[in-house]
Amino acid sequence: MPGPLSDLRVVEVCGPVGHYAGRLLADLGADLIKVEPTEGDPARRYPPFLPGVEQPENALTFLLLNANKRGIVLDLASPDGLEAFLRLVASADVLLDSWQPHDLAALGLSEDRVRAARPDLVRASVTGWGLSGPRADWAYADIVAQAMSGVMNLAGFPDGPPEQVAEQQAHRSASINAAAGIVAAILHRDATGEGQRVEVSAQEALSMAQETAMMFADINGIDRQRTGNAGTGPVRIPGVGLYEANDGWVYLMAAGTAGSGFEGVVATMEALGFDSGLREEPWATFIRESMNRAMILQAMADPLRADDLARKLDHVDGVLTEFIRGQSKRDLYEVGQGLRVLIGMVSAPEDISTSTQLNARDWFVEIDDPGRGVRLRYPGPPWRLEATPATLRRPAPLLGQHTAEVLGELEMSEAGR
Amino acid sequence: MTGLPRALDGVKVLDLTWFGAGPIATRALANMGADVIRVETAKRPDGLRVVPPRPEGNASLNVGGYYNNFNAEKRSVAIDLTTERGQELGLDLVRWADIFATNMTARAVRQIGMTWDVVHEANPGIVGMYQPMQGMTGPHSEFMGFGAILSAVCGVNYLSGFDANPPVGVGTNYPDYVVNPMHAVTAILAALRHRRRTGDGQLIDMSQLESSVAAFAGPVFAWDNAGIVHERAGNRVPFAAPHGAFRCAEVPARPDRWLVLACLDDEQWGRCAQVCEHPEWADDARFGTLADRKANEDALEALVASWVAKQQGPEALAALQAAGVPAALVQNASEVLADEHLRERGYFVTLEHAEAGARVYDGPGFRLSGTPVELRRPAPLLGQHTWEIATDVLGLDGDEVGQLIADRVLY
Repeated sequence: MPGPLSDLRVVEVCGPVGHYAGRLLADLGADLIKVEPTEGDPARRYPPFLPGVEQPENALTFLLLNANKRGIVLDLASPDGLEAFLRLVASADVLLDSWQPHDLAALGLSEDRVRAARPDLVRASVTGWGLSGPRADWAYADIVAQAMSGVMNLAGFPDGPPEQVAEQQAHRSASINAAAGIVAAILHRDATGEGQRVEVSAQEALSMAQETAMMFADINGIDRQRTGNAGTGPVRIPGVGLYEANDGWVYLMAAGTAGSGFEGVVATMEALGFDSGLREEPWATFIRESMNRAMILQAMADPLRADDLARKLDHVDGVLTEFIRGQSKRDLYEVGQGLRVLIGMVSAPEDISTSTQLNARDWFVEIDDPGRGVRLRYPGPPWRLEATPATLRRPAPLLGQHTAEVLGELEMSEAGR
Repeated sequence: MTGLPRALDGVKVLDLTWFGAGPIATRALANMGADVIRVETAKRPDGLRVVPPRPEGNASLNVGGYYNNFNAEKRSVAIDLTTERGQELGLDLVRWADIFATNMTARAVRQIGMTWDVVHEANPGIVGMYQPMQGMTGPHSEFMGFGAILSAVCGVNYLSGFDANPPVGVGTNYPDYVVNPMHAVTAILAALRHRRRTGDGQLIDMSQLESSVAAFAGPVFAWDNAGIVHERAGNRVPFAAPHGAFRCAEVPARPDRWLVLACLDDEQWGRCAQVCEHPEWADDARFGTLADRKANEDALEALVASWVAKQQGPEALAALQAAGVPAALVQNASEVLADEHLRERGYFVTLEHAEAGARVYDGPGFRLSGTPVELRRPAPLLGQHTWEIATDVLGLDGDEVGQLIADRVLY
């Protein structure tokens, strides 16, 4: 079944910030042509590596983010290379690049020159800082945008450093926004015949992930800080946060009105055969009437009640900690969720690989990679469009694998024009 | 604000989302010109309407920054969909809409009578975006949680942070804010294109788990295909060193100041060493290549940290950037708001809201030069547009609206 973008050609000439954008468009069916320099995309040299395969074809993250693309090599610093590139752009609907203003100047690729090659081009720029403003030409790396966006400031422990969110989330956020913007621009082009520029700054793309921090600063003049496992309250509330199981960790948000609340936690203890004593008084009444985060925070503010409450919370938390320590993370997660407890297991990559749910939905996809002599298992797409599903049609290109093929197609179509 | 035509002018969206992942997606559609109608009730309001941040002492459902930032430019109609008449009105909105969106649990979707078979039967051409935590099928399709639960399940907690600390996550409901909503927007727009070309709507089964794992997929891909066990590495990455956050000199005006830097290749490392006034570091055999620097990363970081510890921040940053080394300061939220680069680019937008006053909103995550993405109105008050939607969209007359309000079907 053709994808919703299967009539479109996208030319990608991007650093790692834009690889995922191209992958998303390719998953939706676009003919994605990745242009690399003679020495290859720098990410071809990024560990970790696939054993048994040589450089520059063994970089796992590169293989993941560049599947579904064809690859050609062009030396854009040479007149011939640049000319071939502009011919390729003339055949394309979308140009996805990550050039900063100084790169564009060095290449001699003015807006007009690109536009002349393809007047109705959707031209997408995905960079760290956007194309305007005092930092437009700043050096960029993922962690740098995470720092400037405010997201890093929220992650970590009060006495330790701010922490990056794993897996290059500035790149990912920029790429996801770029893919959305490109499809929007294509809709407009379908309707009017007009191309336009899509512009993404990784710093801006990530800003929303500050959660409430920006609004706390704006409304209350408060800067949220990193809090480790303490949450935002003045006291540890049983059933909120991280607990250690016998083989890993689980995360709970079970002291509120969502789901079955803490009553559900007690039911989970029973279901797993743990004698908690929490069905007996005074605990049964305490849990029924007081085990709610909002009520606890209110009561803790009352000095006449705070001490007694703290003692009771401490007891309940001790019981919960002991219970969880004796169970596996998967049992806690599956039995707890079955009883409508807001609980998640902290999944390691091997847990995700064997996930009951992901595998029941056949999410992972295996395809052959004949050029590398391997068969690889890929995580699936981020969405399921029932009538126009995502497809994984080819592995990441070998360096220059499709140069002759793509340039040959260009000559054929130019001759036929 | 430009007033120019926008990419989704004329597109109609029935918005039954709440909390983060859904509303941010539909906000992006509204900021591209779509008419987004959010159905809400006072009986069971969006949880974000009741939590901080809000002006001190103000308990109104209309002043919370968490809700308002994610709902700019939508219209709000208050209908109790759990009533029989409310359900009929809801289905009238389904028939009106091009796109239906919800991120409620399957159970909540059943309670309001908006399952895909019902929605699709009422409007066969509609694009239905359902975004429960784990998708619409499979043994965990009824599992529930907020972004912090999903962060644990999808790998954010395990992958992020330092090995010495427990995997507490990244301090937020991370996947709710960009990954899940913007994946959803991409899918909705692609489905809208298919609909315009064929007339056919479709179901988008948007599992937040699948969407989140897709954005954190490297380690599971490496495990499955190469047996590589992921080690939690804090601010390090396998392909660059030094790469991390380093504490600046303590100054009273800005305690807890951290400088981030990343040397992606040997050349950047050489320039970094020069800026640090220790060009000999670059000639040190322990640090010659990336492999050397990774093998001696503790020693490498100790040297960089010793230099940063004597710096106040802004000057060191300027020197590193002038040398082409990716570097930044870790900004807190008020510094992000005051960031001169974002200001010059007009990223944040201040909008005047009837109850909340002049408040700052995040700008769009992407820009379109010809059909601008922009916030033209603040978030709606709960039920602010009930009257106009009841009369203009649902075609009710004034008496009917009055009766429905008296019957507590409309608010």
